[in-house]
Amino acid sequence: MIEGTILLVDDSPDDVALTLRAFRTNNITNKVDVAPDGEEALKYMLREGERRPKPVLILLDINLPKVNGLEVLRRIRADERTRHLPVVMLSTSSEDRDIVESYDLGANSYVRKPVVFNEFVDAVKVLGLYWLLVNQSVLTPNGE
Amino acid sequence: MLQVVLGVSAVLAGPQWAGGWRAVVLAVAVGNVLILAGFGAMVARDTASAERGRGNAEMNARASHDQLQELIDNTSAVIYMKRIDDGRYVLVNREWERLFKASRDRVVNLTDRDVFPPALAEQLRNNDLGVASAGRTVQFEETAESDDGMRSYLSVKFPVLDTDGNPYAVCGISTDITDRKRAEEQIQELNAGLEARVAERTAELEASTRELDAFSYSVSHDLRAPLRSLHGFSQALLDDYGTVIDDVGRGYLDRLQVNVKRMGQMIDDLLNLSRATRADLAREPVDLSGLAREIMAELSAIDPDRVVKSVIPDDLKALGDRALLRMVLQNLLANAWKYTAKLPVAKIEVGQTERQGEQVFFVRDDGAGFDTQYAGKLFVAFQRLHPTAEFEGNGIGLAIVQRIVRRHGGQVSAESELGHGATFYFTVAAATEGKKR
Repeated sequence: MIEGTILLVDDSPDDVALTLRAFRTNNITNKVDVAPDGEEALKYMLREGERRPKPVLILLDINLPKVNGLEVLRRIRADERTRHLPVVMLSTSSEDRDIVESYDLGANSYVRKPVVFNEFVDAVKVLGLYWLLVNQSVLTPNGE
Repeated sequence: MLQVVLGVSAVLAGPQWAGGWRAVVLAVAVGNVLILAGFGAMVARDTASAERGRGNAEMNARASHDQLQELIDNTSAVIYMKRIDDGRYVLVNREWERLFKASRDRVVNLTDRDVFPPALAEQLRNNDLGVASAGRTVQFEETAESDDGMRSYLSVKFPVLDTDGNPYAVCGISTDITDRKRAEEQIQELNAGLEARVAERTAELEASTRELDAFSYSVSHDLRAPLRSLHGFSQALLDDYGTVIDDVGRGYLDRLQVNVKRMGQMIDDLLNLSRATRADLAREPVDLSGLAREIMAELSAIDPDRVVKSVIPDDLKALGDRALLRMVLQNLLANAWKYTAKLPVAKIEVGQTERQGEQVFFVRDDGAGFDTQYAGKLFVAFQRLHPTAEFEGNGIGLAIVQRIVRRHGGQVSAESELGHGATFYFTVAAATEGKKR
């Protein structure tokens, strides 16, 4: 598995706890940073002068306070520094318009969070396997 | 005709006003062909008498004049003639006198300026001059105020020519069209009102559709999220504390999870029901046979141990929305699959038949069936005819089927005998129907 931080953008502490639990269950040991809303997520990635390494994977909820997930995605894709980062939409919604708009804005994947926890664990397992192991991402040479 | 008439008048009548009367012959003729013919003959006789002698001719002319005067005085139209050069009246009929309260003796030396308000007088004068320069009959809509209030007239105006063929007067026949105009205006108002109301209702409908949309969106988000927590943390209890909870406690947690899962399914079904209503409806030929086979294959893939004989002919075609019609078949076939689960060998049939003179599609099974006295509840959301313990489900499927079929302009119905299977019928426009008949 590739090293590096996973950015989890989710406003629900329960969902965050369960997602972290699903990571642990699947032995995904990457550091996970959590942004509780869209504004925090944008600050985390796009603030000028930050020398923090970019995350290797972003798990992005859609329904977020302040700046919603689709807007966060649009700004990530509009910025040179983050436009190639893998973004997986992780949402409760299975509305067509959310799915279509996510892909229009350049999401790499769209996963609907299942109600049944074991199904969620399975989904996280597949996501980790694919995005942290199988997939070849664009490497940012200077760590930005 | 005009030339003949005016030619004669020139011979007969040196005096201007007799010439005017000849023109009125024509004026009436414009409105009525038969009258024209009659007066044409009269003029012909006048011509003959002119050759015999002037005195005789003048007597005849006087007779014609009286007849014509009677004629124009006994019509409900307003008839008048005005000179072009100074706009003075040459003649008016009785209706004109009645409306504008002036006798003809007095009017003959007046102009519109003396009779009407300046603005109207100027407009009438402009119309008259327009007719003179056009040299032909022109129609106007004019308004004038009388004791009856403001009235609208359709005025037919035409130039009257002198012996040299130059227009010297304008004759007009004005018909009161106030009532017709009012009726027209009323119709226009009603139409405008109707359009406004349609626009209003459409806006309301769109607003309520948007509300429904927003509602189902928030149902999808807000109701599912707590369910995930419930299921996730009860799983955490089972996983992390399974050793300190006894079997009974674990059983409770299992029940909790089953119900959470069930509620999640109900929310999804409700969303599907709302989508079936909201989705745009395409109209395309749909191969129902192909869809039914696909769905049957999916069902047996999930439940490979079942032995189900499926009978699906090749030529089932409908005109409608492919995705929605698939949902119809999906729900009906899944039902048939479910309610035949207790049979060692089941039979599910899809087909088309004629029922009460109408081509209908059907899905038939030989399973548990239902008690027809409750058939009315079949298509109501969340109404079930079997206990959940016996057959899984939450009663949304047939409600979805009914909505989709209705959106296709069709009907859905069911027949059954308890323990002897059920048949569900639905109508949608069949793509091949036209060819078959």
